[in-house]
Amino acid sequence: MIYTLINTDPISEGYFILITGLLIVFSALVILALFFNYGLPLMLYIYKIITKGKDKKISEIKAIDNSDFTGEVAAVIGASIHMYMGEQHDHESGILTIKQVKKTYSPWSSKIYGTQNRL
Amino acid sequence: MKKLIIIFSVLALLVFIRPVLGLNANTDTTDNSSVTTTQVDQVDTESNLDGALNGIAKFYDYTGFANATLGHIIMIIIGIIFIYLGIKFDYEPLLLIPIGMGVIIGNIPFVAGNQTGIYETGSVLNYLYFGVVKGIYPPLIFLGIGAMTDFSSLIANPKLMLLGGAAQIGVFATFLGSLYLGFNLPEAGAIGIIGGADGPTAIFLSSKLANGINVLADGTTVKNLIGPIAIAAYSYMALVPVIQPPLMRLFISKKERKIKMKPPRAVTQKEKMIFPVVALILTLFISPSALPLLGMLFFGNLLKESGRTERLAETARTKLIDIVTILLGVTVGASTQADIFITKDSMLIFGLGAISFVIATSGGLLFAKFMNLFLKGDNKINPLIGAAGVSAVPDSARVVHSEGLKSDKTNYLLMHAMAPNVSGVIGSAIAAGIILSFLG
Repeated sequence: MIYTLINTDPISEGYFILITGLLIVFSALVILALFFNYGLPLMLYIYKIITKGKDKKISEIKAIDNSDFTGEVAAVIGASIHMYMGEQHDHESGILTIKQVKKTYSPWSSKIYGTQNRL
Repeated sequence: MKKLIIIFSVLALLVFIRPVLGLNANTDTTDNSSVTTTQVDQVDTESNLDGALNGIAKFYDYTGFANATLGHIIMIIIGIIFIYLGIKFDYEPLLLIPIGMGVIIGNIPFVAGNQTGIYETGSVLNYLYFGVVKGIYPPLIFLGIGAMTDFSSLIANPKLMLLGGAAQIGVFATFLGSLYLGFNLPEAGAIGIIGGADGPTAIFLSSKLANGINVLADGTTVKNLIGPIAIAAYSYMALVPVIQPPLMRLFISKKERKIKMKPPRAVTQKEKMIFPVVALILTLFISPSALPLLGMLFFGNLLKESGRTERLAETARTKLIDIVTILLGVTVGASTQADIFITKDSMLIFGLGAISFVIATSGGLLFAKFMNLFLKGDNKINPLIGAAGVSAVPDSARVVHSEGLKSDKTNYLLMHAMAPNVSGVIGSAIAAGIILSFLG
């Protein structure tokens, strides 16, 4: 195809590509759209007939009724996860400093101090 | 005892294997050519101070300060602006930050010939750039996009696929515009694809058409436009939230903006699985040159929808696409080396890119209005979603959604806008394939 393009005017060539290109893009998408509008439902219908309606699902998790697991339990789990996610502490600095408490008098064993003052 | 035998036999094997491989030192014949070196004693006349100053002067010649030109400075500032836009305004930061950093990396001034720059054979950046020049990265990105994309809104409403086609008017109109501006056919084709609003597609096509290697029929070599095209495509994609809303307000009346579309039907898993396979076959039979892009896109989508290959899909849409995005962003950014990038052509490409985005958006909007003429009742579409036909996924869909919300706070268009958005990806890849098959 390139060989036919060599000696032509690039502008007219451009128009040619413009029109054919747009047509091809549109036709490709129209075909896709038509297929998914009409072709696919038909395909699925035929598939259903072939398998006689027995549509085996790939993996079906059967819900086993558990009488112990009530809505309240679910609510508690939900709430606790919510609280855990929402109220997580941000990281605190791991450095602990021990501050020296300068107190000359400690009332740890003073009976009279305990009756007069509230600790 | 057993170990001893094993060690002994390994040693014996090594001894016997040496002559076979020609490693024996006795048969070494490579030193036969005698090299004579003459040593000339130079009398050191210069003082030590002069030597040191000369050394410093020589060192200075190698620094960026000595080699910087105005172009380098301008490009570094552009790189910083990219990074700023990405961080401050959140315009596609995943693209703009790697590209911005790449622009700075590519524009550090250096002395040529030391295998430093991206265009010097043998440099590390040159090896990474290989993936761009040979079009390796874009299909890998498409694989990830496929594994991310949910086509269900498109399957539910296939007529929206046409909007993705309408936006490709931008591609072909720009193609024509660049022909008028004097670019030759392959270059014009590569520039046109900026209108597809799809970074990987633009890089793929420009690496095939405007790579600076191909020779035209009249004997001239095409220009290397990968850098400008990629930068233009990505920067306009990042600017979608700026470019599109004014056009929407211009073309779409207030009443039309309030149209509520009926919710898309539920799509079964089976349909989703059939989609990539059928779409692959149909689109590529029409436009086989788009194979690397669309093949990977639908492959990625099948990985996602099959339900059996979740691991592969997970890797494709997270780690793999991340790695490729990093490499692609940095190398595309670095390819904007000032002496190669700052040319009249680059400026023209930037101008054409802006026009192509405008045409693509308008094309989508007007076609959506046109479609509405044939649709009745609640089948009518909101013409705003036509703007999402340019494929900048998912940014343009998001812009449509927020524009819709401005007119009516209860009108959620995101789901609907995703349909033309993903079909825009398919459409621009098909358009790239067509241009490639005509001009490649």
